This record gives sequence, C-alpha cells and structure tokens, in this order.
Amino acid sequence: MSQIAPTEPASSGPGRRDGALIEVRNLSKHFPVTEGIIFRKEVARVQAVADVSFTLMPGETLGLVGESGCGKSTTARLITKLLPASSGQIFFEGRDITKLSRRDMLPLRREIQMIFQDPYSSVNPKQTVGQIIGAPFDIHKIPGDQKKQVRELMDRVGLNPEHYNRYPHEFSGGQRQRIGVARALALRPKVIICDEPVSALDVSIQAQILNLLEDLQDEFKLTYLFISHDLGVVRHISDRIAVMYLGHVVEVAQADELYEDPKHPYTAALLSAVPKAYSDTDARERVVLTGDVPSPMDPPSGCPFHPRCPKARIVAGSKDKVPDNCRDVMPPLGEVASNHYAACWYPVDVGEKLHRAAHA
Amino acid sequence: MTQERLLEVKDLKVHFNTPDGIVRAVDGVSFKLDRGETLGIVGESGSGKSVTCLTSLRLTNLESADVSGEVIFKGRDLLKITKEELRQVRGKELSMIFQDPFACLHPLYKVGDQIAEAIFAHEDCSKQAAKKRVVDLLGAVGIPRPDSRYNDYPHQFSGGMRQRAMIAMALVHNPDVLIADEPTTALDVTVQAQILDLIERLKTDFNVGVILITHDLGVVADVAQTVMVMYAGRPVEIGTKDRVFSQPLHPYTWGLLESIPHVDQKGTRLVPIQGMPPSLIRVPPGCPFHPRCPHRFEPCDKDVPELYDRGGGHPDACHLSIEDKKRLWNERERRRRKVAS
Repeated sequence: MSQIAPTEPASSGPGRRDGALIEVRNLSKHFPVTEGIIFRKEVARVQAVADVSFTLMPGETLGLVGESGCGKSTTARLITKLLPASSGQIFFEGRDITKLSRRDMLPLRREIQMIFQDPYSSVNPKQTVGQIIGAPFDIHKIPGDQKKQVRELMDRVGLNPEHYNRYPHEFSGGQRQRIGVARALALRPKVIICDEPVSALDVSIQAQILNLLEDLQDEFKLTYLFISHDLGVVRHISDRIAVMYLGHVVEVAQADELYEDPKHPYTAALLSAVPKAYSDTDARERVVLTGDVPSPMDPPSGCPFHPRCPKARIVAGSKDKVPDNCRDVMPPLGEVASNHYAACWYPVDVGEKLHRAAHA
Repeated sequence: MTQERLLEVKDLKVHFNTPDGIVRAVDGVSFKLDRGETLGIVGESGSGKSVTCLTSLRLTNLESADVSGEVIFKGRDLLKITKEELRQVRGKELSMIFQDPFACLHPLYKVGDQIAEAIFAHEDCSKQAAKKRVVDLLGAVGIPRPDSRYNDYPHQFSGGMRQRAMIAMALVHNPDVLIADEPTTALDVTVQAQILDLIERLKTDFNVGVILITHDLGVVADVAQTVMVMYAGRPVEIGTKDRVFSQPLHPYTWGLLESIPHVDQKGTRLVPIQGMPPSLIRVPPGCPFHPRCPHRFEPCDKDVPELYDRGGGHPDACHLSIEDKKRLWNERERRRRKVAS
C-alpha cells in the first residue's frame, strides 16, 4: 500500500491521507477549442477540471455535487481513465496510474467500475441481459460457469434470473439501471464510480436503486464515488461530500457538517436553492444567485465564484463591488474547521444569513 | 372574497388507440383553477399530467385520440369551439411553457423576433412597437441588457435565459392562464430557484392562474397553493398544499413523500414504493395503485375508488376510511421522526 514515492505534497489539505484507495492530486483537464480544418489551431481552452485534489478512503462514499458543467463527470472519466488527464496525478492504492497504458490499465479495470446515468444508452441494445452482464467475465477471461454467475448477479440486484435471454428494451428504466449495477458488480470491484445513477429515474424507483446500492456496499465492502446534482440524494448516500464549481473543488466536509454548516458561499446558496417537499423548519430563505454559471472557456479571474458571490458583496459593503483578493487570487482549499475544507477567502460564519445579500 | 374561475376541467378522459391496445393516458381528471392561484400537478412519468395539460389546450390530436369530458375556459368548452376560436384563445388568453426551452426556440431566428412573432399572431402592430414590447418583456423576465439581447440567437442564451425567453413569449398577450410543463426540470437548482421566483412574481404582477406540472414534490411545495397528485391517469388526491404535505390522504402520496431523500435531514433508509408504475394499456382493475399499496384490503382490487371529498375540501380516491388514513399516516410520521432523531 505504501509504495508511493513521496513526491511533493499536495497543494491542499484533503488531498493527502494515508491508506487512501484513490487519491487525486492537482488533477486538471482542459479541452482545446480548435479552428480550421486542415491546419487545426487551438483558439481557446475549456478548463473542465482545474487543480482538483481529494481522497477516497476504503469503504466510504464520497459524494461529488455541482451544477451541470462544473466538471464532476469529467473528473469521473479522468479517474477511470476514459479520458487522459492534462496534468496532475491519480493514485490507486498508492500506485500512480495516471500514465498507465491501456494494457497495463486492464487488470485495474476489474477494481474500478462505473455506473452511468442513462441506463439505456450504456448497454448494447442488440445484446441480451445475459451477454451484457457476462461481458466483464469474457473480457477478463474469468473461468467458471459464467451463466451461473450472471444469474446469481441478476438475482442479487433484484432482476429475475429467468430474464437472462431478454433484451434491454424489454425492461423498465429502473430494471435497466439494475442491469448496469449488476455489470459493474460482476468482477467484485473495490470502487464503483456512480455517475448520476438515479437522475433518470422516477422518485419511487430512485429510492429502490439507492437502497440497493447501500445494501451492496455493506455486502461487498464497496467504495463509491457518487456523482449527482441532486443534493438530497447526495446527502442521503454520502459519508463525505465534495462540492464543485467551474472545475474547482470549493468545499469538502462530512455530509452532515456540510449541510448543517456550509462554509463556502456557493454551497450555502446551492443548499438554500433546493425546494424542500416537507421540512420541519418552515420559512424558506433562499439565497438567490444572480446570473448564470460563467463559461469554463473564459472563467473569471481569482475565485471563480466571485461574480455571483453574495458574501463577497457583504464583505465589500456594496452590491457592485467585491474585495480585491476575491477578484485577483484563487483561494486555496484550506481547513476552515476540523476536517472541513473550503476554498474561500471569507468563509460563511455559523448561522450567517446570505439571504438576498446580493440585492441589498 | 370572490374568486374568478378561469379554468374548469370536468371528467377529462384521453385514450389513445395503438396497435398494442388502448392507452388510457388520462382517465377521469377534474380540477378547477382560479385567478391568482397556482395549481401544482405532480406524478411520476406516465401518470398523465402532461397529456392532461396538452389536452386542456387541445394540443392532442382529436382525430387520433379518444377525448371526452369538458375543458371550460371562461365559460367556453375548449374541446367544442371551432378551430378559429381556438386559435384566438391559444397563446393569447391561455399559454404554455414547455420543459425543454431549446427545443422550443428556432435555432436560426433571433430570439427577439421569435417573441415578436407571437405578438403578430394575434394583433396588428408595427414592427417598432412590437420590438419595444419584446424588449420590455425580456427586461421584465430578468434578462440583462434586453435591447442588445433581442438580436441574439438561441444558442447564445444559457438554459435559464432560454427559459426566461419562453416565459416572455408566453406572456406577450397578458394571458389569463399560464400552463408550465416541467419548466425547471432541465435547469440547475440555482437557476431553478431563479425561475420559480420569477414565475411567482409574474403570477402576482400579471395576475394569472398558473398550472405547474412537475415530478418534483419540492418544487410544488415551494410555489403551489393547490396540489393534485396523479397516478396512472387519475388524480389520487387534490388539496391545499398544506393539507397534502402535512396530512396526505392517499397511500401513493405517502409513498412518494417517503421515497425522497431529504436535504435537511440525515440519511435514513428510504422507504420505496414496491413494484413499478403500471402500463397504461393494462391498468390494474379496481384501484390502479392496489398492487403496490401496502394497505390494500378487499374492495381495492374490484372497485375503482372515486375521488371523494370527506369534508375539508381535500378529496382523495382511496377505499380506506378517514380514521384509518389518519392513523396510518401518523404512524408513518412517528416512525420517520424516530429514525431521524
């Protein structure tokens, strides 16, 4: 486990932890925007993931939340090496896997599996369920009675094993997602990256899949990286949560602490924006953010959140002004409370109201 | 306080004939909408909420679908009036916002011109006057620098701004009723909060009646005064928001409420509804929810429960007695609070 060559320390706190199953250090990914057909010339860059560091401890569920375009799915694809990283490192059980070739990566793919958002487009419609769930066994040349193993898996995830020869279109959305879960589980991986696994499902079905994922975690000692834009779902399933905004991780904390005492103004605004079906505390106080998420092609200087940040305006004392350091310098992800990290120059105080501050 | 009744739907049924059989998409829906009221319609996919609203605007093809019932809008049955009369009403007095704002805007025309087109559809008006109205509206729905944004194309707008543009288009003629079909489903939560605030503000400013269709119970709890919960093409309960969320009467609503993970509550095990929503071709006999209902008893698989008001203006469609319902719901609530604490 500890054969990591001790390189330079990670830029910020939550990036280093002993015994981590997956460790991500200063990971970045940009996509070039090109012009021209024959002579391609890079005219701009989309900074999808910017200097992201975090660890995933064995047996835990780390939630990754953020709005569309914040880089959560790109992060997942970088970790599974479905995309090459532009810079930074990814460690799996202490081993740097950032530069591994496809062939060297193959044995590791048994350990890191993925569940996708759209259960239908992530399976081959021309294959039967048995073939889909059996594919990992073929790829990794696992000996033994494949059919029996697949049937056991189907039974475990709540599919009728007699439906072995059916095609994906014969199943409902929830059942299709169970197929995806069974396939991810087939090789008994250590980590499953769940990229919005319940977003396409109706609430009653969503609850069934979430319960299934929890049961499987207990049974097979799985570690999850759980990506979702649904803050209720993330709180429900996660032990720790990382919040992303415009490619940056802006806050990391234990789930309950993050929801009860968010330190980053973006997290506070995000949480207050969720409409609650029934809450024991009445009187909603939404922090309505003005404007939209900026384009990652042309991110703001300094803190990426400063153009929309209500707290920066409170600090500056005017709705048109922000403090200089917010505008000019990207704040590091620093420890603001015990095991609670936030990338903000002026973290939110306990119980502080940002409500409508931006309009004040 | 007298309220102006804008829309009344009576026993609406929409059945589609398909090669596989008759799809009973909507099977007996009735509701009323007053001026200044927001009615939230919730249900899972396939519960008939969108078809109900599309048919209220007569956007379902009456030739291929089998539609019965009445849609009374300001005293006229929209299902019976002539096409020309319908054209006068649609988009002017009764307008709609759809889920996917990108699919509703033509990618090759300027956003402003597309909104202006909605003006020309109903009145003669000079180009300059139309443009001025559009710019004012774009400003009213919160688009910054509306006069230069008028000339933008849809791809230059973000998702939230496109939805604002669609709302502006729906409002050009000061409609009486605004139907919003999942208006925030495609948007991020912070933008969703902006759009919900906007709809609420416009409801007051323009004094319209709003029908909001959504699958998100949180959105309904946030903006609606009246809530209708639908399952398999029928309403299972209709009541004020406070009643439906604090003392829901139908086991399906209980199941929905217990299925959602809460943002403001620690993770406890969810209680999903067993099984799956039924196919609308083969709706179970009796109460359509009975195969999934943990409280079913004898009459449930034989008699269809009628939507029935047991007093309190909160009708529901379930065979359980009101005492049983109150007891069962309170038991569930106690259990939930115990687990949560």
